[in-house]
Parts: sequence; structure tokens; C-alpha cells
Amino acid sequence: MGKKVEEVPQLKQFREWFDKRHEYAKEWKRENGGKIVGYYCTYCPEEILYAAGVLPVRILGSHEPESITRPYLHDMYCPFCHDTLAQGLQGRYDYLDGVTLAQSCLHMRQSYFSFVDRVPNIQWSYYMHFPHGVNNPHATPYLRWELEKFKSAVEEWTGVTITNKELDKAIEIYNKNRQLMKKVFELRRGEKPPITGLHAMEMVVSSQVVDKKDHNEILESFLEDLKDVEVDRETGTRLILIGSEDDDRSFLELVEYGINYPATFVYEECCTGARYFWDEVRPNEDRLMALAERYVKRIPCPAKDWAAGELIRRRFQHIEKVIKDYNVQGAIIAQMKFCDPHELDIPSLRVLFDKNNVKHLTLELDITQPIGQFRTRVEAFLEALGEEDLFF
Amino acid sequence: MEAIQESEYWKWPETVWVDESKNWKEAEVISCGIDLGSVSSQAVIMLDGELYAYSNLRTGSSSAASSEKALGSILEKIGDMKREDIHYIVGTGYGRVSIPFANKTITEIACHGRGANYIYGPSVRTVLDMGGQDLKAIKVDERGKVVNFLMNDKCAAGTGRGIEVVADLLSIPVTEVGPMSLEVYPDDEPEPVSTTCIVFGKSEILGLMRKGWPTNRILAAFFRAVATRVVELLERVGVEPEFAITGGISKNPGVVTRVQDMLGMKALETEYDPQIAGAIGAALFAKALYEKQTGKR
Repeated sequence: MGKKVEEVPQLKQFREWFDKRHEYAKEWKRENGGKIVGYYCTYCPEEILYAAGVLPVRILGSHEPESITRPYLHDMYCPFCHDTLAQGLQGRYDYLDGVTLAQSCLHMRQSYFSFVDRVPNIQWSYYMHFPHGVNNPHATPYLRWELEKFKSAVEEWTGVTITNKELDKAIEIYNKNRQLMKKVFELRRGEKPPITGLHAMEMVVSSQVVDKKDHNEILESFLEDLKDVEVDRETGTRLILIGSEDDDRSFLELVEYGINYPATFVYEECCTGARYFWDEVRPNEDRLMALAERYVKRIPCPAKDWAAGELIRRRFQHIEKVIKDYNVQGAIIAQMKFCDPHELDIPSLRVLFDKNNVKHLTLELDITQPIGQFRTRVEAFLEALGEEDLFF
Repeated sequence: MEAIQESEYWKWPETVWVDESKNWKEAEVISCGIDLGSVSSQAVIMLDGELYAYSNLRTGSSSAASSEKALGSILEKIGDMKREDIHYIVGTGYGRVSIPFANKTITEIACHGRGANYIYGPSVRTVLDMGGQDLKAIKVDERGKVVNFLMNDKCAAGTGRGIEVVADLLSIPVTEVGPMSLEVYPDDEPEPVSTTCIVFGKSEILGLMRKGWPTNRILAAFFRAVATRVVELLERVGVEPEFAITGGISKNPGVVTRVQDMLGMKALETEYDPQIAGAIGAALFAKALYEKQTGKR
């Protein structure tokens, strides 16, 4: 008899890292004596920081109501940018030495600049220009140039020369992390996915806040242990999550564990899910070009997935493939309140889902979620997908 | 000193009804649906899928106690039926998870779709459920099964609770605010008040009162706002005929008339109380579930 997934120790480790990300970072600093840089959005080329011996950690929110960000951010800026800044203002990132942002959207940018300005322990900051039209052929050489500048700035700050050897090592560690998480995701294509969306989120988000070397070690044994897992939950409706920063445990718990009908996320198309790690860095003699290629050609965030004329938007193609590969039956579009790039994609996404015969439900996320209302909507959504035998 | 009389203009009449022509003891399946809403609670008992009795009461502070009261009041009126005589109970509505004696819970969206199909017939394709705290636009198929739906977000403007607040503010019984608003309709219909939030709406109404607007015009401005919100939601889901309205606000002609005119579509009419549609749907699901459980289907 295999063990139950909840008993798998690596999942407990991911959860612990997720919950105690600040403690982990402080401990890392004590042990390694290195610098830690917080980054906004997943377009930050973490490999460059890592190659300089810096630990990059993603700046995340805490999903607790707050009001201290109002002097810095408009009310109609997204809850995530408020939540992240609130963490800095409350001193929860007091161990960071620096902070950086690869330009993603205006909301994150304002949060970033306020973070730089108002969090007293920040000694170094870097605002990186990142091409908006990632489908444009000029985007990669443009980004390569930006990476060059970023690398020089990191070298100047740390006093470390980032050699090709160190870059290769960083790329290798990061690629390995991507490969391993992809393997875990691929196990979810089967009839009985061994892990839920909640587990997947904790795995992915923990990888964003710990040293990838530590994460890889756990991931390797996790993949081994997953082979023996006895799946004791009913998979129910196979769902895809479409969203952005979907790290709110209460929301995932509600959908997968808290409603009347069985349902399981089999794929998360969001930056706390597959979008973060899906694409690898391909080897290139010019390491910065290799990195530029990876970050430009990864599955794009809707903020960057523009395509005029002959150019083709890539995220939708990816979603369409996932629907088939993962046998997706329903989609939950988790729309971060006030996030215009995501919201503007929703009408086209609906068309895509309709075309592929996938029912969809849109929910608007805030810092905290209206669980009672969401329960009604998700249950009604699943009732509409099934429960045929109640009708005669 | 004379005690201050509390006026409860928001209160709407409660009902307990039993079809005395039916004998429940002859029924094969006695099913019950309880719709525990944020403002009102309904219990329905059906005999072999036909309406036998219902109650429509105000929800109290305890969901469990309100569900007990909703069913208890019917059983009391019937006299010789006990809760144990009911084969299956389905709970629905905002408080469905708090009904201690329900065999199963199903969402009010599915139940209103099914209930509207029973009340208005299989031609219904779009159901508007206007309740105490939320609005739902529901698309259904010919069986009353939900095809698509939309709900309003976290705001009570344009819902039953909002109407109660305004009735209280203007000291007009809640059952009269709708008809009174139609006194100026359509020729002297004013601009709507804020549609964003009932608290903003209330502030605007206070302003209109200070300006000396007659009550019927204030109410017209308010119901215009309510109808605008409702129509926005309906248009997002897409209105397909036939169109039917369920829930408490369906009894308010001030809202219904404006919604119909803005949509250019008449809502179906019924002899049933449209407020019990959710509980009817729940009772019909209870029958199906009981038959499934006992192998009858």
C-alpha cells in the first residue's frame, strides 16, 4: 500500500517554506552570509543574481487586510501590489538587501518604487526595462542589452565578477528546477493526479522563495515518492486555473476541499504556477542571449502578450494545448481585481474555452476572498457541468 | 415620557400556506426544499413533485433556527405531519450549509433554475433571481438545468436589503415603495441615484429629501438605479426568451416594470409565489435524490 499524499514529507517541506519564507531567508543569510534581493514579478532574470551569490526571493503578499499602502498606491491598483508593499512597510522583509523589478505593469512598478523608497533596509535597487511586446522579434536583442546592464549593476553592487562559469552553474540549477517541476506537473495529466492545485501552488511558490539548490534536492525525492502515492481523493471535475498571483490558500482549499462536489486543479496557468517555470534556458555561447531568449519566449504574462499584425499571441496557444494534454473539463479564471491586462484577455479566453468545449467561471480575487459567495459560484458551476441525474 | 414606537417599514408580510385539498398520507414521495436566504427563508413540501405547502418567513440571526422555523411553521399548520415523515430534504440559499437536518445541499442558482422551470414552464431560458443580498442572472435549458449564470459582486445596491433600507429611510412600507415609484413613471422619471453602493445611494436619497423632492420621485430615482444594475447583469449573461423573475423583488412592480421596459421584454407571469422558486427547485431535487437513493429511478 502506498502512502497518502498528505503524508509525503516533501509536501510538508514545501508548505513549511511557503509559510515560513521569511524565517528561511534569515536563516539562509546567517548561514551563507550572502545578500538577498527581493524581486517583483517573474520576469526578473534570477540566474544573474544567483550567479553573483545573491539569493533572489519573490516578494509576495500575506492576504491580510491592510490600509497602510493608501498613501502610496491608488485604490484602483491591484490588491497584489498593495499586499506586497504592505509587507515591506510592515517590516516583514527587513532582511532584504536589495529589490528589483523587471518591468511588468504600472501597478507593480508603483509598488516597487514605494518599496525602494519606504523600506529602510533596502540598500540597492534596480529597475529593469523589459520589452512589453514579447512577440516582437526585436524583443530578444533588446532584452539582451538590458541584461548586460543589469549584470554590470549587480557586479558593481556586490563586487563580484559574474563569470560564464558561474552563469552556467546558475542556469543549470534553475533549469533543473524547471525540469523537475515540469515532471511533477506531467504526473497530473493522468486519470488520477497525485497532487492537487493547492500542493502544486505550494511547490511552485516555495521554489520562488528558497535557494533552488535546496528546492531541487527536495523535488528529486518528491518525484520518487510520488510514484508510491495512493490517490485517495476523487478527482472529480478536472480544472485549469487561469490567473496571476494565485497564492491564496483559502481560495484553492475552497475549490478542491471545501465544496459539495469533487474538483481538482490539474494545471495552473499563472505566475504562481506553470508560467513561472515552464520554459528552460537553452544553451548558447552568449549566456545573456540565452537568458534573454528564455525570458522573452517563456509563456507570457498577459501584460506582455501583445501581438499586432502578423504576430501571434502565445499564451492562448499554450492554454489550448494544455486543455488537450491535461484533459481539462472546466476553467476557473481568477481575475485579480483591477488587473487590466488579465481582464482584457477574458473575452478572448471565453471564446477559446467555448471553442474547446470547456466551461468557464470567472471569479474576482481581492486580498481576502468572499468565501461564501465563491462557494455558491463554484458549486453552481460544477452543478452546471454535471449532476445530470437530477433532471428527468 | 412616552415610549418611542419603532416603525418597521422594511417588514414584508410572511406567509404559511397548505393545500388543504391534498392528503399527504397518499403521497409516495414527500420531499422538502429549504431556501435559507440572507433576508428571507422559504420551506416547501411537495407530494410526488407537486406543491403541497410552503412558508415564507424572515431569516433571523441564526441560520439553523430560521430553517427550523421555516419548516416548523408548515408542519404546525399541517398538524399531523412530522419531520420524520419527509423522505428527503435539500437545503439551498446563502445559509444552506447551516441547515442541520438537510440531507444534501444544492446551490440556489441550480434550485432557482429548476424552480423557475416548474413555476413558469419549460419555455423559460433566462431567470433573474432578485434576492435579499444578491442578484443572479441564470440561463437554463428546457429542463431547468443551469447553462450559465452571473452573480453581482459584494454589494447590496439593487437587492432586497437595499430596498428595505430605503423603505425605512423614507418611512414607507416596503410593499408600497414599488407602486409609489410608478406614479411618476414613465413621463416624469428622474435620473437614477448612484448604482455603485447602497450606502452612497442612501446618501444621495437624503440629499434629494433635503431638496424637497416628493417621495414618489425619490423612489423612482432609486428604482431606476436598481433596474439599471439588474439590466446590466442580464445583458452580460445575454437575455434569451422566455424570461422569468424569481425571488422577493419579483413582487416589486417598481423594479419589474422598469426592468421589462429597459429590456423590451415581458417577464412570464405565474399564480405561484415567485419567492419560493428556490425552495421548489430544492424540493424537486430532493425528490430526484430520494428516488435515486431508493433505486426508484
